[in-house]
Amino acid sequence: MSSDQDHLQQTDTEERFDFKKDSEAAYAADKGLTEDTIHAISDDKDEPDWMRERRLRALKQFQAMPMPTDWPGQPDLSEMDINEIVPYIRPDIETRGGVDDWTDLPDDIKDTFDKLGIPEAEKNALSGVGAQYESEVVYQNMLERWEDKGVIFMNMDQAVQEHEEIVKEHFMTNCVPPSDNKFAALHGAIWSGGSFVYVPEDVTVDMPVQAYFRMNTEGMGQFEHTLIIAEEGSEVHYIEGCSAPKYSAFNLHSGGVEVFVGENAHVQYSTVQNWSKNTYNLNTKRALVEQDGRMEWISGSMGSKATMLYPSTVLKGRGASDNHITIAFAGEGQNIDTGAKVYHNAPDTKSTIESKSISKDGGRTNYRGLVHIADGAENSSTAVECDALMFDNESTSDTMPYMEINESKVDVAHEATVGKIGDEDIFYLQTRGLDDDDAKQMIVSGFIEPITEELPIEYAVELNRLVELEMEGSLG
Amino acid sequence: MSATLKQGLTEETVRELSDARDEPEWLLERRLEALASLDDLDLPDVIQTPGRRWTNLTDLQFDSLVDPLNQSDETERVTAEGVEVLDFETALDEHEDLIREELGATLDPQSNYLTALSAALFTTGTLIYVPEGVDAEDVKIRTEMRSDSLFSHTLVVTEESASVTILEAIGDEGSPVTATGEDEGPAADDEGRYFSNLVEVAAGTNSNVQFGSLQDLSEDAYCYTLKHGIAGDHATINWIEGNFGTQITRSDVETELNGEGSESQIVGSFFGHEDQHFDVNARVWHNAEHTTADLVTRGVLDDTARSVYEGVQDVGRDAWDTSSYQRENTLMLSDESEADASPKLIIKNHDTEASHSATVGQVDQQDMFYMTSRGISPDQARNMLVEGFFVPVLEEIAVEEFRDDVEALVQERLA
Repeated sequence: MSSDQDHLQQTDTEERFDFKKDSEAAYAADKGLTEDTIHAISDDKDEPDWMRERRLRALKQFQAMPMPTDWPGQPDLSEMDINEIVPYIRPDIETRGGVDDWTDLPDDIKDTFDKLGIPEAEKNALSGVGAQYESEVVYQNMLERWEDKGVIFMNMDQAVQEHEEIVKEHFMTNCVPPSDNKFAALHGAIWSGGSFVYVPEDVTVDMPVQAYFRMNTEGMGQFEHTLIIAEEGSEVHYIEGCSAPKYSAFNLHSGGVEVFVGENAHVQYSTVQNWSKNTYNLNTKRALVEQDGRMEWISGSMGSKATMLYPSTVLKGRGASDNHITIAFAGEGQNIDTGAKVYHNAPDTKSTIESKSISKDGGRTNYRGLVHIADGAENSSTAVECDALMFDNESTSDTMPYMEINESKVDVAHEATVGKIGDEDIFYLQTRGLDDDDAKQMIVSGFIEPITEELPIEYAVELNRLVELEMEGSLG
Repeated sequence: MSATLKQGLTEETVRELSDARDEPEWLLERRLEALASLDDLDLPDVIQTPGRRWTNLTDLQFDSLVDPLNQSDETERVTAEGVEVLDFETALDEHEDLIREELGATLDPQSNYLTALSAALFTTGTLIYVPEGVDAEDVKIRTEMRSDSLFSHTLVVTEESASVTILEAIGDEGSPVTATGEDEGPAADDEGRYFSNLVEVAAGTNSNVQFGSLQDLSEDAYCYTLKHGIAGDHATINWIEGNFGTQITRSDVETELNGEGSESQIVGSFFGHEDQHFDVNARVWHNAEHTTADLVTRGVLDDTARSVYEGVQDVGRDAWDTSSYQRENTLMLSDESEADASPKLIIKNHDTEASHSATVGQVDQQDMFYMTSRGISPDQARNMLVEGFFVPVLEEIAVEEFRDDVEALVQERLA
């Protein structure tokens, strides 16, 4: 590839994420968070009373819980003032719940997603797409053949209205209750948008569905909720992409994800997160897996100022399994604190966790993970592997796994390595005609390959391109 | 935090304790300083995960068991040529300046509540002073605890190019590892016993210390121990620890690699049964160039015993060319036991080769099958495999008597 092309590609990708739009909102809540805020959001959405009650209860829990400050080495959250956040912005669109044709969107919003390449990806590789702008889903569409089979893919607000019973049963009840942590409580109070995915028994959705989340306004918070229910024997791959332009004030993203994996069902959840580097990214993601079900979490954390994200899986049924693959890349000023949690609560359950992290230019990565094997979870096994690559002496790479093993008939293994890029490897590549930068880039691409090969090709390319940009230090 | 001790813990108590031992004024001052700091200090950090605290340190019973003025022990010290191995009172007479300079210089008495309590109240202890160039082997200290509470302090100072291997054993009545091994002195009352031991090792340039410690207190006892060493240029500090006794033990073994080219190995072993609880921690800080660390812990759990392990490899900004390794293996003999582990890497310099691994599991079924197919009974096969499991630890022990003791204690527990 010539350097001209490199340049083009780089400029292109950078512009794709970091452009700004003037915000034209139909409704924006005031900064800060009070019961009035909740009523305003709930009124604007015309929600049933039970949802309003849940929001108010979550708000109380949020106010009662202290900020997490005592985790060893955790990101500094002291500068993040919830009262400076605009919690809810409804963009000015006519169709509540999202249009199903991109051309029906206002030009500036359509232009945003065009630049992000979402309509293009939809044509080529996806079963369905949802796109969220600020607090609301503005576009939602799924191929007819899935609709015919009873697959539901709609925005979460609409699901509250149209599938009230099933949402009421599953929404922040026994998977991620608001009491789980302070930011889950915050999310429960002011969530807006997100996706509802329902896959009926024995249906295999063979192309991924995707949701894309975009924050445009300075100082806003995005709190989308994703609820995925995969019935017995079904299969679905959900992809989530996130980005925002960079502002001087901070933004907050605190999403909630709940996944119910039925008997013998298989759900893959992939995220490529490229929030701007003024964003605090504090999410709670959890899956409950029934007998012989399988959950896979694939996460690429590239953006944000600080990320705290530990997708967790509860293996409830015999023979259930989990696979976590995470990659974190922290550059200047970034603190990416990410990992995995797995609870083995039944016999014959299996989990594998593979974590790759890269820290550079003073960035900090931390793998923080918990594997818990309950008494009675016989013949369970877990394998955790963490590898970290460091570029310089200003960066930090931490690994903090926790293992709680209450059962003897188990196979538990944890391994971690940390190191720099081998001089010998670089030398070898240089003798083959690559310059120093290209050699490093190639080694990093190889380092994260186990992750990229799990993603559809478009996303693998995307991730690689983001890594290249980070390597050149050229991304805002 | 503040706690109420059995006999009340006042300045008068500390003065009385110090007066009775005819101590110099500066030592009394330090005891009082440690005492005064108690209000501002917390118990040592304990790992917490959502909804769980791995060890509850107030369960160590120090508040109900500590009886400062009634401490008693029987200690046997075996020295080696060229080394000073002295009980604390004699050491104060003969090397007051050295003690004044080194006591508390390596291990900060105000690290936490329990270290400060120990610094205020210790009544027994040993100075091991190895002068320049002396190469000494098999220093042995065997202490038998004879009171409800006992606070001990061990200070090891090695001068340039000195070398020493040490075994320090603690037990109480009836333990085979202590001075008399006989059932003498008052038995512990129903509430048990509290033993606190601080060990500091100041390893001078190019010196070499192997410090072995063996704990075989009775199973109604509670133990807190912190061992902290600082290695100078090209110095080596190797720790080997065996934990067999007590109801609950909290043990921290730590090395600061402050000297260029310094090295440390921290080897830990434990064998818990019934409802014993071991909270063992190994930590190393790489603060200089070309340093090497190797942390190895092997533990066996039977019945409802529980182990908690934290290993920390901390590589500082200036620690260029670091090598740091950690392995932790736990063998579970019973379904009712629990093993918690957290091996941590904290790396701030990229010129590092660091790794850690941890495993938990039961006796290898293929090994069992192989052995039983050779006509060995399942019980015997299991016992042989458990003994074999400890071999990597035994191999590191330099003091032969220590190795024999560990082997004997493992066999006794398997019997």
